[in-house]
Amino acid sequence: MNDYGTPAIRMKGVSLKQSHFRLGPIDLEVPTGCVTAIVGPNSSGKSTTFRLLMDLMKPDDGSIEVLGCKIGGGKRIDLLKRVGYLPEEPYRHDNVLRAMDKAEFHRQWYPGWDVNRYRELLGLLEVDHSLRLGKMSKGMRRKFDLALALAHQPELLLLDEPSSGLDPIAWRVMIDLLHRYMESGDRTILIATHIVEEVKRLADFIVFLAGGKVIGMFEKDELLTGWHQYYFPGSIAEWRGVLSDLPGLAGLEDAGGIVRAVTGSAREAEAWLAAREIAPVGRKSMELDDILAVLVEQEKLRRQGMKGVKP
Amino acid sequence: MSIQLNEFSAEPLYHQIEVQLRALIVSGQLKEGTLLPSIREMAQHLKCSVITIRRVYQDLEAEGLIVTRQGTGTFVAKVDPEERSRHRLEAVVSAMREAVEAGLRVQCSEEELRELFENALREAGAKRSPPDDGVNRTAGGENEG
Repeated sequence: MNDYGTPAIRMKGVSLKQSHFRLGPIDLEVPTGCVTAIVGPNSSGKSTTFRLLMDLMKPDDGSIEVLGCKIGGGKRIDLLKRVGYLPEEPYRHDNVLRAMDKAEFHRQWYPGWDVNRYRELLGLLEVDHSLRLGKMSKGMRRKFDLALALAHQPELLLLDEPSSGLDPIAWRVMIDLLHRYMESGDRTILIATHIVEEVKRLADFIVFLAGGKVIGMFEKDELLTGWHQYYFPGSIAEWRGVLSDLPGLAGLEDAGGIVRAVTGSAREAEAWLAAREIAPVGRKSMELDDILAVLVEQEKLRRQGMKGVKP
Repeated sequence: MSIQLNEFSAEPLYHQIEVQLRALIVSGQLKEGTLLPSIREMAQHLKCSVITIRRVYQDLEAEGLIVTRQGTGTFVAKVDPEERSRHRLEAVVSAMREAVEAGLRVQCSEEELRELFENALREAGAKRSPPDDGVNRTAGGENEG
């Protein structure tokens, strides 16, 4: 993945300790020109990562670079002009403002503000900007904030669960907007999401985050075609020995008279099975959330293993 | 453009797309000069990553089947007639080989395989007789060259 020029975001050894949570150390490179989705369970550190990137929180350790600028280097304003950020929650302090007044204020900070683009976005998203922000429904507020994040033609979009509160129609509009935003090929999106379909439709790369750590970064299609599950008739006792060398084996379980084997190397596994003339009675590709569950489980075991080794 | 992906296959997506797009070009269903979707559009349409599409376009460009003109897009190139007939059969030969292998895996006899082939041929013939719905296809391109 290194033929994408300079990464839009580079995090090296970034860590942050909070009273209830420890993030990192995180090493992450987000490639320019691609959509990278951060996927992870609740409180895995997704929003904290965004705040660190926006210089809204300071890491205890490590270095962060966004669009070639070092974070914490003082030139924050110049950088922010080139970034569109949609935080997890809207800012409540501007609830009394009309949306159009908020936009009027917002645009002062962004030389790249494009009023036609802003109006086009409001139209596409069906946002009435004469409403007060506090009077907007959750979905309408989300759409308005998304329009604000996009209207200054940023080079980088940081979207923290952008679709929360959106109805299915608005969701589709958003997906389409984001694809068109990426059309020029030199822009970058980092998006945190829980929604499997969103990752499928948008992402080029997937970063799994759990317990404050990156447990893997993958190209989406390789990941989704690499993970499969196979079914074999019989009991787990019969199959454990036979399948113990199945390439990429990541789980074997009894599913009631039938054994389910999960592998992260489907192609190799199929060749291996064919060479041994073992025919599974069924096979299935895996959804992203299933893969995440397996990886989180593996990570847990690995950590427990490491603890076990310690005296 | 009709490209069908088999999500349940362990075959890499780029390979599935490449084979089908190549077939569309070589068969003349996509004519010389046709503007292909941009990498991002194609990725959106097929729900796959731009990495995959970029790889497909790079491979087909290396084979001379498509050309990218800076700033204007990616177009179907002129396919040399000799190349076309070679390519044309190549795809068929490899599909046949796969079908035979699939049969041998479940212990089909030669006899059975022949019969299956004949059946498939007849079925396709029966399907073909009503006029093709021809979704998104350029008419009459198949016998070119």
